[in-house]
Amino acid sequence: MGRFGFVAKRLLQTIPMLFGIVLIVFLVLQITPGDPARQIVGLRASEAELQEVREELGLDDPVLVQYVRYVGNVLQGDLGYSYKSRKPVSEIIGERIDVTLWLMGSGILLTVLISVPLGVIGALRKDRAADHVIRGLGLVGLSMPPFWTGVILLLLVAIPTGWFPAGGFGETFPDKVRSIFLPALTLAIASSPFIIRGLRASIISVMESEYISTARSIGVAGGRLVRRFVLRNSAGPAITLLAIEMGYLLFGAVVIETTFALPGLGQGLVLAARGRDLPSVQGYTLLFALAVVVVYLVSDIVTAILDPRVEIEA
Amino acid sequence: MTEPPASAFDAVTEVVEPLAPLAEPGIWKKMPKKVYVGAAIVLLYMLVAVFAPALAPYDPLEINPVDRLASPSAEHWLGTDELGRDVLSRMIYAARIDIPIGFLGALLPAILGTVLGALAGFYGKWVDTVIMRTADVVQAFPAYILVIVLVFALGQGARSIIIAFTVLAWVIYTRIIRSEVLRVKDLDYIHAAQVAGLPRLRILRVHVIPNVINQTLVYLPNDIVFATLGLAAFSFLGLGIPPPTPEWGAMIAEGQPFLRTNWWLATVPGLVIVGLGLGLSLVGEGLEERLRA
Repeated sequence: MGRFGFVAKRLLQTIPMLFGIVLIVFLVLQITPGDPARQIVGLRASEAELQEVREELGLDDPVLVQYVRYVGNVLQGDLGYSYKSRKPVSEIIGERIDVTLWLMGSGILLTVLISVPLGVIGALRKDRAADHVIRGLGLVGLSMPPFWTGVILLLLVAIPTGWFPAGGFGETFPDKVRSIFLPALTLAIASSPFIIRGLRASIISVMESEYISTARSIGVAGGRLVRRFVLRNSAGPAITLLAIEMGYLLFGAVVIETTFALPGLGQGLVLAARGRDLPSVQGYTLLFALAVVVVYLVSDIVTAILDPRVEIEA
Repeated sequence: MTEPPASAFDAVTEVVEPLAPLAEPGIWKKMPKKVYVGAAIVLLYMLVAVFAPALAPYDPLEINPVDRLASPSAEHWLGTDELGRDVLSRMIYAARIDIPIGFLGALLPAILGTVLGALAGFYGKWVDTVIMRTADVVQAFPAYILVIVLVFALGQGARSIIIAFTVLAWVIYTRIIRSEVLRVKDLDYIHAAQVAGLPRLRILRVHVIPNVINQTLVYLPNDIVFATLGLAAFSFLGLGIPPPTPEWGAMIAEGQPFLRTNWWLATVPGLVIVGLGLGLSLVGEGLEERLRA
């Protein structure tokens, strides 16, 4: 099977996974106690009004019928209506997705800017002072809850300098950059320790391989050796690691959006969960799960394209 | 075992290096110092949790509206919160929530994952297929997001958090233990036990599991850190331990609005979490270094 066979196989594997995800999201919320109809009409509504809403939502239908209808609606992009605002969930998601994309994008960018140099230094100076310092910082970083890191950055950077807003998302481009910088830095501090650790291990194992000895023996050394021979071959595992961290990064976004009062998807999920707004919780969860599946898929495909060996193995 | 990794997960998580058995004589004497330093820190936290009633100067739930948002003083070392409750007492009592839930939230999935991994590796066939395909689906989910959903469905509180962690965090142990069992299963002493006619369950229990269990042990301290940070995060979001029970993450959320005037309210509980996390990470790193040698 060639490289395209591998990609096709991974694409096909994703389809049952997606149905499984929709099924689990549907079932978990099916066991949620409470009557959705009662939540919509309020405590004072009459029995007749309740029955009307139940019929409108099809809540009296068998579970299987409800599931098939749910899948059908999801496939058409219909995620139901929020119990709170009565707006379509897809519309609410549309309003909030911008902020989250900004946060994730700049967070990942900062993660790469921090992790790649530190990972390379740690590996090349293995077991020396610089390596120990980086590993120590990594341990501290791993133990820091992201919401606390955010609070510390607000206290030590935002409040004294006044350069960054204490919360919210800006309207203009420069304001957006200003309001996203500290949250993105918080995300990067939370995710970098994993990536640094993985990149360091990956570079060390590449450095010990035979083709590096060969490259050295023909006189390749210094920055050229690192850039041309080492980094290229260490990139695959680092990308995979970043993809595996995606779920954790998304949760980081949930927590960080709440800390910095950013009106993104994560804050939306938290508010929906607190407000017991079932269709919104369902919609956000589905979207996050979908994002993770897509990121794994893309990372597998990118790794396959980068790595000539995958063709032989697959 | 010549099948190539089917996805990114397998490539990273199924490379398991064999570890030295913990039963090896003298292994505890040669532990790196960081294991003892880390263990001492963790022990200190546990002692604070156990002796909280004796250590805390005030009742952590006692509201005192006259004395709200007081600065640190001789009476209130860490001041008081928005409702006039003594912050130090609340920090001390919070250890009784965060530590047991953090430990249980890691220990239960570790036990479940180890047992499932051992069964999958040892019995193979359909047992293996069912367990590992379930693992694939669980792992495809963003785990912490699913905790929010599970807690939403099960209701807020410690019980829901522990159930959610158990349902979601067992996968990594299952993968590691399964691949270790596959390796150990082929060793001579297992064949000898089979030839001697020992029952399969006894071979698994007495001869296989004790030889792979240290893989679980090495990973466990890290997982306790994740569980503790997770609990604190959910409580910070208002989805974990409901008020007025003192919990470190919730205390950070309660203190954040007063960051400009009473900065210690939101920062000190975080320092306490970082300290516990560091202690556990030191134990985990040290164990790994020693056993991998």
